[in-house]
Amino acid sequence: MEWVIDTQGLTKSYKEVDALKALNLQVPKHSIFGFLGPNGAGKTTTIKLLLGLIRPTAGTAKVFGLDTVQDSVAIRSRIGYLPQDPRFYESMSARQVLDYTAGFFFKGPRAEIERRVEETLDLVGLQGKADRPIKGFSGGERQRLGIAQAQVNYPDLLILDEPAASLDPMGRRDVLEVMDRLRKYTTIFYCTHILDDVQRVSDMVAILNKGELVAHGPIAELLAGGEGVAYEVRLKGDTSSAYQCVAEQPWVNTIQVRKQNESTIWTVSVSDPQIAENSLFRLLAADEKVIVTGYHIKEHELEEVFLRIVEGGNNGR
Amino acid sequence: MDANLTQHGTGNSMMVMKTGSGWSRGLDNAVRGELKEWFQTRTWWSQVLIWAASINLIFLIVSLSVRQNPGEMNSPTESLMIFNIFMGLVGPIGVSIVMQSAVVGEKKSGTAAWVLSKPISRISFILSKVIGNSLGIAATMVLAQGIIAYLIAYFVVGITPPPLGFLAGLGVHLVHIFFYLTLTLMLGAIFEKAAPVIGIPIAFLFSQNFLSSAFPKLTPFMPQSLAMPGNNSSELPLAMALMTESPVDTYLLLIGTFIASLIFIGIALWVFQRQEL
Repeated sequence: MEWVIDTQGLTKSYKEVDALKALNLQVPKHSIFGFLGPNGAGKTTTIKLLLGLIRPTAGTAKVFGLDTVQDSVAIRSRIGYLPQDPRFYESMSARQVLDYTAGFFFKGPRAEIERRVEETLDLVGLQGKADRPIKGFSGGERQRLGIAQAQVNYPDLLILDEPAASLDPMGRRDVLEVMDRLRKYTTIFYCTHILDDVQRVSDMVAILNKGELVAHGPIAELLAGGEGVAYEVRLKGDTSSAYQCVAEQPWVNTIQVRKQNESTIWTVSVSDPQIAENSLFRLLAADEKVIVTGYHIKEHELEEVFLRIVEGGNNGR
Repeated sequence: MDANLTQHGTGNSMMVMKTGSGWSRGLDNAVRGELKEWFQTRTWWSQVLIWAASINLIFLIVSLSVRQNPGEMNSPTESLMIFNIFMGLVGPIGVSIVMQSAVVGEKKSGTAAWVLSKPISRISFILSKVIGNSLGIAATMVLAQGIIAYLIAYFVVGITPPPLGFLAGLGVHLVHIFFYLTLTLMLGAIFEKAAPVIGIPIAFLFSQNFLSSAFPKLTPFMPQSLAMPGNNSSELPLAMALMTESPVDTYLLLIGTFIASLIFIGIALWVFQRQEL
């Protein structure tokens, strides 16, 4: 597989603090790669190392097969980057920021560069405010401008640090649509706290905690792993005898019980999905004291997996 | 990358990707950005007005006074010394204030990290600050003030300084101000806070009088001697000597000051190359 990003033992220390500990990370071409972790986990440090803004204490990082220390300028000529808190020259307008950014990448007729700037403004819906100084922009408008300047150069790799931060739900939806549209042209490596977004668009995920990589792989694998298969069952009536019956089955690991209005909801974790598929519903239906009002295989949410991995130390590796 | 452009449907074969990753990568665009900031915003005329009020307003007041009381000075030409003193004093202070935002301000605000996430070398980033700000300051603080001072000398004082000599004198002021520009730039690369970046050049500016008094032999080595008369010194500062076509003993201080400025730039480049943003 062709890796766009490949780090080997990438480490960054500040005096006594290890911000990043021996990171081994591979990002495949044309993936949308969600890079997750709590605040201070080392996500932004990793991005800065990839951009050559800081130097590694140990290890190496390659982007497009080029070394981030030796070939930083060549790497940056193929990257688009949205910082977590985008800062531009305040006296410039959005159009000037994009024109200035494009000037680092392109040469050619002014009219063509201006046309590219127009296209980019259009993509993020900033045409109406293109000529206003950005010092009057809201957080959401700055974020849109940040996304615009990050992809003005048709990057082969788009690095986005919290791309949907400060955006309203419509703005968030637009960003996810743009990311999905760009997937066939570029690789997207992005950090976010909005796990729902990651689950919607990402195909690969890595979770960083306290500078260490604690999970890394295709999102489907990550969601399927850990607790194994579980069923979510919604019941009405007296559930005590049904509970005893199900709990006694050798293929049942645990039953979590919670109440919701008139219903009782069980999350039944099973060790043998095949037997559970054949038997669980029949056992419940056979008990005349309960009515089964809901029954489905539980799909793990990324948020659950994330919290389990991060709060449970390195067990999720 | 051209294939990539086509993929994205621009249908554009004229706009091409810049290539190369040497020390000068991004310099042209960064300098263009600096010059736009100076000359395509209100910066240039606000700077001209600020320095006119700080330098030439006083020169004008003194010149009007000389005109009404011709006996106040040995010769009308001497009133030009007022212009030179204020250029020598206000120029370094002004340039330190303007330049502190160039590097340390950008490091603090995050714009330096943003620009350096684009294909620009760190050398180009620093050089763009030197080139852009030198041209901006040369135009607004030196040339524009020189023209205003010349007009005051001609119309108010009633003297006609030799144009070439006057221009050469302005060139000396430019070297003197460039010294402080590069000193501030270097300090901006070294420090993370604005206070030492502004404070050290200004402290150096004012300490020269003290050093000159305490150690008179040091006077010929003080950049201040280019623009202002030193304590206990009967020699004209170089800028004044050139403006009045007086004899000049040596240009060593001018050359030395310029070399020191180049050393400051070199240190700024060295430090900034290793800096983490």
